[in-house]
Amino acid sequence: MSDPKPSPNDIMAKIRAQKAAVATAAGAGSEPTAEPKPEASAAPAAPAAAPAAATPPRSPADIMASIRSAAKPAAESSAKPAAAKPAAAAAAGSPASILASIRSAGKPAAAATPAPAAASSAAPAAPVAAAAAVPVGLSPAEMIKAARNAEAGAPVAPKVVLPTKPLPGKAAPAAAKAAEEVSRRSVVGSVVATLFSPLVVAWGSFTAAAAASGLALARFMMPNVLVEPPTKFKIGPPTDYAPGTVSTKWQAQFNIWVVNSDVDGVRSIYALSTVCTHLGCTPNWLEGEQKFKCPCHGSGFYKSGINFEGPAPRPLERVGLRLAEDGMLEVDKSVKFQRELGQWTNASSFVSTG
Amino acid sequence: MLNAHPDLTASVLIGLGWYYLLMFLMNLAWTVRSYRDDGEYSNGIPRAAVWAVYSSILMMVSAYHFTYPPEGFLISMPSWFRDPFDRYFSNPVLFFVLSILGYWAMIALREWWTKPRVAWVLLNISLLFMGLSLTDYDFRQIVGKPDNVPIVAMLFIVAFCTWIYFSRAVDNDRRIAEGRPLFEQENNEKVLVWPDLVYTELICMVVLTAVLIFWGIALKAPLEEPGSSVKTPNPSKAPWYFLGLQEMLVYFDPWLAGVVLPSIILGGLMAVPYIDFNKRGNGYYSFKERAFAVSTFLFGFLPLWVALIVLGTFLRGPNWNFFGIYEYWDVHKVEAANNVNLSEFFWDGLGTGVPKGTTLDRILLREFPGILLIIGYFAVLPPIMGVTILRTYFARMGVLRFLVFSNLILWMAILPIKMLLRWAFSLKYIVGIPEWFFNI
Repeated sequence: MSDPKPSPNDIMAKIRAQKAAVATAAGAGSEPTAEPKPEASAAPAAPAAAPAAATPPRSPADIMASIRSAAKPAAESSAKPAAAKPAAAAAAGSPASILASIRSAGKPAAAATPAPAAASSAAPAAPVAAAAAVPVGLSPAEMIKAARNAEAGAPVAPKVVLPTKPLPGKAAPAAAKAAEEVSRRSVVGSVVATLFSPLVVAWGSFTAAAAASGLALARFMMPNVLVEPPTKFKIGPPTDYAPGTVSTKWQAQFNIWVVNSDVDGVRSIYALSTVCTHLGCTPNWLEGEQKFKCPCHGSGFYKSGINFEGPAPRPLERVGLRLAEDGMLEVDKSVKFQRELGQWTNASSFVSTG
Repeated sequence: MLNAHPDLTASVLIGLGWYYLLMFLMNLAWTVRSYRDDGEYSNGIPRAAVWAVYSSILMMVSAYHFTYPPEGFLISMPSWFRDPFDRYFSNPVLFFVLSILGYWAMIALREWWTKPRVAWVLLNISLLFMGLSLTDYDFRQIVGKPDNVPIVAMLFIVAFCTWIYFSRAVDNDRRIAEGRPLFEQENNEKVLVWPDLVYTELICMVVLTAVLIFWGIALKAPLEEPGSSVKTPNPSKAPWYFLGLQEMLVYFDPWLAGVVLPSIILGGLMAVPYIDFNKRGNGYYSFKERAFAVSTFLFGFLPLWVALIVLGTFLRGPNWNFFGIYEYWDVHKVEAANNVNLSEFFWDGLGTGVPKGTTLDRILLREFPGILLIIGYFAVLPPIMGVTILRTYFARMGVLRFLVFSNLILWMAILPIKMLLRWAFSLKYIVGIPEWFFNI
């Protein structure tokens, strides 16, 4: 290339020129695709290479352009590989070889005949490809004329009228034959074929793996040993808790505060859960301010557990407390008493000492 | 006497020496630029002389920091600034009002502060403020925490990105007004992906990796003691990018601030392209052509998100109380915050007392003022807005889009409204039904 760094416009111009040239070649080559070649599916990239080889590329831009323009012929010829040879011939610019291939092709419709022979899965595709390949209403004379024009250098686009539908006369028997074949198969065979299709195997194994891990997760949720503190435990005699104090000695072990305070004029002991009713942080008991204060969002609770500042919507929850037969206080964390539901009057929620 | 919290130590002075040296180098470069571009005063002295004097002062300040011992060091945050600042700025109301005013000034004065010289002066003021503040022990404790380093960086980055937007937009608005072509059309920077963009990305990737490695080595990981279900750190702060969310949680019930509002933020952002009917301002910077969209976004982003992150980082201390930025974090600081529900205001105001009882009719009777207020806010306000202040929007959007749009606006407005109500009237919840875990 003379220009070391082409501008985008130059590149576009080159691509367009390249495309026009290849389109001419491919157009001329696509006419005589009647050549019957049953081993159709084995279409290599050769046709793509053929037009590209006609004009040896020298720059990345040229390569890109030729690949883009070749993509179209390559796609066509993968459906009808017979185009490969004529395309190459056309690129070489020899009308004689085109004529020879046309003659050896015989009847144009011959391309459709291998369709039933192909695998039944490919059956619908074959007639379409064949139909696309057959230039309906194009006589050999016209082809020769087109080839001559191409030789003269004029970019002639041969008039190829493609049928909008696959040829009905050929496609219908092919479909019927395929249906006949399926019905002849055994039911067991088709079921087995379906069961072992890659899609079913892949999704089946995925489902099995997911189900296995789900079962493992469910098993994990039910451990053999629970290393949780007991929900019922004794916290010593009531005399351990002096009147008017908040004891934090069970906070670390059992998540409770034990408060000895006046409730409606009656001296009583109750146990408060240490979970903030806003978002579940653990508040701190501030002796100087006589309040529980949460460090997360600033909720504050009185000694009674009633919320008075910050965003906490509810008072702290009481847990069950009773005086056991041996004179010890027994906490039952499996029950909760919420003030807003009127449960603090419940006799199990406090021990009266007054 | 040994001071446990010294304001000045030798290592602090060395660090600040580097800080001022960097400022000196920045201003030296600015002086060169000013000498080249800014011209002269009427008496023949180049304007760059001011910057040259300022830069040399910075250099001397830097040398002073490097050489002088902490005892008898003269440059530190003066108490006549520090004490009033602490007293007034530990107040959330003032902080929030000032952030709203700053937002308004940012838009109203955009022609002024986007001038490079003004922006440079503002940057220098903020850096000097930062440098002086770093001589205070308590300020260093907050800013120097490895957790908070990205927040300080974020403040400058957000300011810079906002400045870029407004300077480009102001420039383009002027071009549109004068009928000149847009900046983006005149300076077409179209380049090829390969190699220009890919190389730029490669360089960015390498630089970012180097910064992260340096960061990882230089700053210690902010690890704390092992977690415990019964001990919550005090204060307990969310990751810095969620501090705005944590601040919202102070004013709302968890399900509202933690679930509903974030969902509405995400859904609302997704809905923006479908709500927006303004086809202008596409592919170029402009403020006047998208004044409403830009203002709304910046209101949600700057005062309601970034400012709340700043508030949560620098002004929230133990027990989630407010502290000044130079104030000692006293765990026992007492702050009166006795909050009252709207129903208590209403029924006590009537003199009848709040209706007791936990049955359905008693609860609904108790909370009906708040319920009416909320229904009115979300159901009555949109039509009123549609026929009054947002009439043009209603006409261009149609009913459905306008309803979505106006409700998103109302949801965005409910956060500052609730904050102001909490601060002004100690209002806890407008609708407070703890029996059903339903509080607004």
